[in-house]
Amino acid sequence: MKTMVKKPEVLAPAGNLEKLKMAIRYGADAVYIGGQAFGLRSRAGNFSYEEMAEGVAFAHERSSRVYVAANMVTHEGDGRGADAFFKTLQSIGVDAVIVSDPALIVVCFNAAPGLPVHLSTQASATNYKTLEFWKSIGLERVVLAREVGIEEIRGMRQHTDIEIEAFVHGAMCIAYSGRCTLSNHMVNRDANRGGCAQSCRWKYDLFDLDDGEAHSHVQGGEPFSMSAVDLSMLHHLPDMIEAGVNSLKIEGRMKSIHYVSTVANVYRSAVDAYCRDPEHFVFDPAWDEEIWKVAQRDLSTGFYYGVPNEKEQLFGKPRKIPKYTFAAQVLAYDPVTRRATLEQRNNFGIGEEVEFYGPNFVHFKQTVHDLWNEDGEAIDRAPNPMMTVTMTVDAPVAPYFLMRKK
Amino acid sequence: MIEIIATAESMNQAEALIDAGADRLYAGGHPFGLRLPRPLGLEEIESIVRLAHSRGKAVTVACNALMHNKQIDQFAAYLTQLAEMKVDALAVGDPGAILMLKEQALPIPYIYDAGTLVTSAEQIAFWIGQGASGAVAARELTLKELIMMQQKLDRPIEVLVYGPTCIHQSGRPLLTNYFHYTSGDRASRLDDQVLFLRDPKNAGSQYPIIEDTDGTHIFSTEDLTLMGQLKIMHENGLDTWKLDGVLLRGDAFVSIVALFDEARRAIEAGAFVPESFINRLKKLQPEHRPLGTGFYMKNPEDVH
Repeated sequence: MKTMVKKPEVLAPAGNLEKLKMAIRYGADAVYIGGQAFGLRSRAGNFSYEEMAEGVAFAHERSSRVYVAANMVTHEGDGRGADAFFKTLQSIGVDAVIVSDPALIVVCFNAAPGLPVHLSTQASATNYKTLEFWKSIGLERVVLAREVGIEEIRGMRQHTDIEIEAFVHGAMCIAYSGRCTLSNHMVNRDANRGGCAQSCRWKYDLFDLDDGEAHSHVQGGEPFSMSAVDLSMLHHLPDMIEAGVNSLKIEGRMKSIHYVSTVANVYRSAVDAYCRDPEHFVFDPAWDEEIWKVAQRDLSTGFYYGVPNEKEQLFGKPRKIPKYTFAAQVLAYDPVTRRATLEQRNNFGIGEEVEFYGPNFVHFKQTVHDLWNEDGEAIDRAPNPMMTVTMTVDAPVAPYFLMRKK
Repeated sequence: MIEIIATAESMNQAEALIDAGADRLYAGGHPFGLRLPRPLGLEEIESIVRLAHSRGKAVTVACNALMHNKQIDQFAAYLTQLAEMKVDALAVGDPGAILMLKEQALPIPYIYDAGTLVTSAEQIAFWIGQGASGAVAARELTLKELIMMQQKLDRPIEVLVYGPTCIHQSGRPLLTNYFHYTSGDRASRLDDQVLFLRDPKNAGSQYPIIEDTDGTHIFSTEDLTLMGQLKIMHENGLDTWKLDGVLLRGDAFVSIVALFDEARRAIEAGAFVPESFINRLKKLQPEHRPLGTGFYMKNPEDVH
């Protein structure tokens, strides 16, 4: 008999305000974002306070939550301004901050008492006592290290009631997050302050120096590398939920709207389906099909069922994954004429097979039969970025439905 | 008072290290200690503790692993045994292990050692608030930062003055995975053979890579050394000097420890000529391991 303890939250990344809104429209219970400082994604579109306020208002109107990542490992002087930062976040109504550096945790507790603090995965929480430690300090949630297995999560749940957040989808560090300074040593960029150059994904020579001379251990022309394939626990959500995970985290603040909307949609649908009726849950192959449309690397289960072997690293030629392109976003739909008004995001035209998808895991394929420009003139293609076009659709759509093509 | 801490790989080496001037030996074993020259069992640790104490020296036991549930389950018994043999200190980086130390209220002090994550005085102050008696500084810090940090704290910051530093720890067996993929004959590789990585874009790079039961560890191209800066360190209260022999065994490491002891005495006597000591260190240094100052002599602004 399966007993579902509590429905977990689906937590999606949001690199900017537009992605935040899309992630929530497509089913995320919560999103995590970065501010202008103290984060680890210096290249992700980080939020100004005004954008944060708009995002928080949008999320709260839809009973969703916004967490702000401030997971930098600070050096002397880096913490300057952190008190004002946390105070402002609290006044904006942010639901939690994600922190790994205890110096920042202390600043946050003092500056913004009551603002919930989550421990970042950068702090590598790998056992139940560590969870208890952070609970005793006053944290509300711990994001687990990616090296933790399902069985270990079950063990943690037996020992502690602090909220557990765990990654279910996306790219992975090959190292214990936070314990890798390859970028620092190789290119003078501090991985723990937002400078990660992904040196783990480079190709290396491998050799010994037993007699002072280099003897290669490179085999069959394949350079040494340590690049992880991506994580996907889509096929194992019941295990994650039954183990007592409170928040299912999707990686990817640098990822596109197409990616975030698709992945959030799939996980929303799968989690709902399981939690509605755990006894009779059946995996819908359409979830899998959708996930592969935005996959960038092969997918694996990371450490959840054991230590990853060579199949969970990228060696040799990467497997060809069919690429889908984000082609348009729906602005309006007229049920009488069955015409949709679209904003173009990539070149498409009459005769092409396209797919529409929308929140609540609605999706359908069709061929583009007709196309009109803003002046109502019939056209063959929509070649200009962001141009507005109209076309007849085979099934009802709504604003914020997206259209992709192969 | 300058303290010299040296890793000890065996009872024999421990004795030689004490003769060479080490004040404190650093040893440990699986599954709690990471990146040791040789993992030692409890009996061997106990012998080293007895030896050290008979010579008026101290022993710190490495408990710096990122612990999983299974290790935590075994840790209480290990702690009790270490307390019985009266080890002088532990090096701990896992907050769960720290909570257990608090709960068991054993009379063993611990220094906080979480590798790359110890980068500010405020962080160390947090762990002092959790009972730590000091901390091991990240090797990605500059000397300027280390001095600023020590000025703010009344507990010692341990600084690596000699040896390689770990720049990557993976939970995965990265060498095994590679050899499995390439179907290479792993048997041709000796068990204790050290392999190196080279970034083809950086011809001078050679990062030692070691796989063990904890996963895979990659080390810096250079053995870091602060020989030239020991006087400045001492003048600024950075008096806890660690020498790490994880990649340098036996007498070769002992000779280097002896040289640092001599440097200490020269500093205390006001007769330290750094150039001379650097030259002597270069002569002792294994040929294929470059010496360098890593981040220590960089400007804090140079690394982002």
